[in-house]
Order: sequence, then structure tokens, then C-alpha cells
Amino acid sequence: MAEYLGVRVHVPENDPTMLAYLQHAGTHRLTLQRCRDCGLLQYPPGTACEHCTCLDFDWAPVSGKGTIYSYEIVTHPIHPAYRDRVPYPIVLVELDEQRAVPAPDYALRVIATLVDAEGRPEHEERVAIGARVEVAFADLGDGLALPLFRLSDEPPEHALWRYPG
Amino acid sequence: MNALRDRYAIVGIGETEFSRNSGRTTRALGVEAIRNAMRDAGLTPADVDGMLSYHGNDSTDSPTIAGDLGIRLNFYMDCSGGGSSTEALIGLAIGAIEAGMCRTVAVFRAMNGYTQARIGGTGRQAPVYTGGSIPQAIYGMTSAAQSFAPAFMRHMYEHGTTSEQVAHVKVAHSKHASNNPKAFYKERVTVDDVLSSRWITKPLHLLDCCVETDNGTAVIVTSIERARDLKQHPIHIMGVAGRTTKRKGNYHWSYAPISLHAGQYGGPIVFANAGVGPEDIDITGSYDAFTFTTLFQLEAYGFCKVGEGGEYVSSGIIELGGARPNNPSGGHLCEVYSHGMNMVIENVRQLRGLVDDYCPSWQQGEHTYDYSERGCRQVRDPEITMNLGWASPATGSALILRK
Ligand SMILES: [Zn+2]
Repeated sequence: MAEYLGVRVHVPENDPTMLAYLQHAGTHRLTLQRCRDCGLLQYPPGTACEHCTCLDFDWAPVSGKGTIYSYEIVTHPIHPAYRDRVPYPIVLVELDEQRAVPAPDYALRVIATLVDAEGRPEHEERVAIGARVEVAFADLGDGLALPLFRLSDEPPEHALWRYPG
Repeated sequence: MNALRDRYAIVGIGETEFSRNSGRTTRALGVEAIRNAMRDAGLTPADVDGMLSYHGNDSTDSPTIAGDLGIRLNFYMDCSGGGSSTEALIGLAIGAIEAGMCRTVAVFRAMNGYTQARIGGTGRQAPVYTGGSIPQAIYGMTSAAQSFAPAFMRHMYEHGTTSEQVAHVKVAHSKHASNNPKAFYKERVTVDDVLSSRWITKPLHLLDCCVETDNGTAVIVTSIERARDLKQHPIHIMGVAGRTTKRKGNYHWSYAPISLHAGQYGGPIVFANAGVGPEDIDITGSYDAFTFTTLFQLEAYGFCKVGEGGEYVSSGIIELGGARPNNPSGGHLCEVYSHGMNMVIENVRQLRGLVDDYCPSWQQGEHTYDYSERGCRQVRDPEITMNLGWASPATGSALILRK
């Protein structure tokens, strides 16, 4: 049985797209849907190509590298799974692939938690807009994994920005 | 020229007590709100033949409410939705009447938003992550605050907006609520109170968040011809937009700027329908689920330039006595969290000149215009108001009313 933070993960058989996404992550490569018609990537996994409505996809591995585009530091937990995890950062990561394609305002942006090398929530003082990150994985069982991010050794993409105070 | 401009009116408004312990069903709350709105309008159950509501599987349906009140319906629809539904459903009410399906529609929302179904979640969710949980919820992003916060953080980064600036929204609305006998929070707060309240999710403090409450609310819509015979001065519906979404409204993060609200699309629609612009609006009614959501809406609908919302909301413009007061009732932050209804109801009261404040003769429309604590909250002779609905950064609605 797959689970994350003690909570069962059940993606039913009638949702093969989301199941495939987690199965690909199970090989520890961040892998996205790629449209068989227009060739563009999209995130999150969907049932049609958001760029051309095509219904057929391949799965394409990406580098898993990106830059923190925005974030928050959750201190008041809501879901029981996160009661023991606060404070924890949620980051919006802009992936390196396909930036500003097919339109200047489009990018592959992924909501995820930012974790340290041990998989625990990253410390607030290390989280900043502009910081470079790389994908990490939490194994869920049943061959599935959930993509997360951790800070990488690369220099920041631009001057780091943190919430003041 | 929109052929329906000014052809329909809000003729009745009603609400229940605003509490955190209603001790009643949403059925009882909805019934009382509609009954109060009918009495306000001078309508009997036989006069109301349409009903619209919205819910998140947390309310009571129209046939049950209507049945209790002895109303036989020619049209009803109970729609899925929370914020930004009010304005959109008033538009749908016009459509239903215009299509000849019914003549007079009661729009209601009934919710035990504190004691039964808290919008942020109660921690009692079914302990399973499904496919739909993968893009956000599994990462601990489940409540409204958690889901909206990165958009505001990005606004701070892009435009230099500060927590202190948006705290002024709570300060202003608390001043307004202090002059509203039915407001849940009537105490005035300071910027420091907001900034020193505990974090919910940085950059949002506890006092940046609205007041979850139990309540029922209703407005009644009918044609201007029918409205002329009724008890109250009809409040004309000039234009509606709703619910406009940003591209990929289910995951708006893909499209920049993530800090610009869907009102950027609804604004041109509602202003064209109403034949006015932001400069003509005397009172705004923002959906202040959080302090910063007011800023997002004011920017998106063009009340200030994008990026200048922080200055706008901290300048005094939005306070009673300011150039364009926002949420004179106290709004969601201080009066009641009703998923948008109470700001529409307040604008109707303001346009009637019959705001229920602490002025001794408010029921005769006599106001002191002294906005100090436990005083007046009637804006002086407002002609046109606007409601700026919000469901998320990616979805909004709007409604322009006139006297
Ligand atoms: Zn395509």
C-alpha cells in the first residue's frame, strides 16, 4: 500500500495519467507529460494537452532543476499529516525546461515542499525566491514516489529575496 | 449599450445573526434570511417563484427552504461554489427572469461556516490522498490561506508590497465594523495588532485572515417594473461579470503574473455592461477573505495601477471618510464570512441611505456622518457601488449597483 506521511495514497485505476506520473517518479526521474502532437510539456498531469487539446502523450524525463519562483512558510497546520511538520516551506518552482514557451507568460511551475538532505522541512532562513533547487523523491511504496525539491549547490539565478523579517 | 442595464433591481435583503454557535441547521438559517429579505421587500411567499443558492456540500437545497416558507418554485438551482458566487448568481437570476422562467428570485447562502464546515478544513478530512491531491494537497497546501499565500508573496517580491500596507485593510474594516451593531468583531485594531498576531502561513498573520462564522444571507432580485411597486427604493443592477477565470483556473501558477487576479478579465466585462468606469464608483465591496485579497481585486479591476495596491490600501482612500470607502460593514475580516453576500447586502443598504449603524435615527435615513467608534457608517450620498468577488487569485466576479 502506498502512503505518504502516514496517509494512504490511492490513485484509482481510472486515473492512469496521475498513476503513471507517480510511477515514473518511482524511478527517481522527474517525468512530465509531452504532447504527441505539438511536442510541448505540461504540468500538472492532465487529460488533454493544454496547448493544443491533443489527447495522446508520451512521458519525457526533465532535469528536475529549477528556481524558486515564490514560497510560503506554513506554521498553522491543517491536514493531520502535517501537524508534526510545521513550520514547513511550500515552494513554487519554475523548472528550467520550456521557460516562456509557448508563450512569454507560460512556464512549468510546480508546487511542492522544500526538504533538506534528510527529507525534513527545510529551514525558513534558507528559503528564498531566486534560489536554485533540484528534485528529490519521497518513496511512497508500490513503486510510486512523490517529487519534492531541495536546495542545490548552484548559485542563485538572481539576487535572493526573502520575506523581510 | 447593454439592453439589460438598470432593467433589474435588488428589492430585498435579509440575514440572520452572525455567530460562531448558531445552534441551528443551515435550513433554519436559510429560511430566516429569505423570510427577512421578503419582509424587507414587502413580498409574500406567493410573490417569490425563483431561488438560487450556492454551497460546498455544506448547505440546504432550495426546495427544502422554499417548502418551509410555503414558496412554490418555477425555477431553482443550487450551484456549487463559494466566493464570487453572489455576483454571478445575481446575473443568473436576471437571466432566469429574462428567459421567462420565473419573475422574482431569492438568492441565498446558508452556512455553519464555523461549527460545521470550515472552509480551511477542520483536520477531519478523509485520511487518503487521491489523484486530485497530487498537484497541491499532498504537499500540505489545503486551506485557502495556504493556497493563496504564494501569489501574495510574489506580489511582495515583484512590487515591494509590505505586510504593514495590507494590515491597513484590517484596520480600516475594523473601524467600519465598530460602527456596525451586527458585526462579529466590533473592536478596532491597529497595524501593530495585525503584525504581532501569530503566523498562519508566512506572509499571512492571523489577523490577515477573515472571521469564520455561522450565518444565513439572502437578496431578492426582480424586474424594475415589479420593483417599483415594492416597499423599498429599488437598487438598480447596472452590470454583472462572473465567474471569470484566469487561464488554467485550476492551476493558475503556470501563467504569469501569478499575483494578478482574474478581475483583469471581469473588469472590462462589468464596466462595459454597466457603462461606467472605476472612477465612477463611490464604494467598493471587496472579497476580503484575507487582507491582501482586497489589494489584488482593487488592482485587477483598475482602481489603482498594478503594483500600487499597497499604497492604495494604506492611503486612507478605503476608510469611511476617504475618497472611496471599501467594505463599510467591516466585510469578511470583521463583520461576517458569508462567501460574498454581506458585501452586496451592505452596498444595497448604503445606496438606500439606510445603513443600520449607531445613529439614533438611521431608520429614517438620518445619519451623523461621524465615523468615530460606535458612530455612523453611512457614506454620504453614494450613487454607484461595486462588488469585487473572489474565489481565488484565478476566479472572480463583479457587480455594479446604483441608486
Ligand atoms: Zn499539444
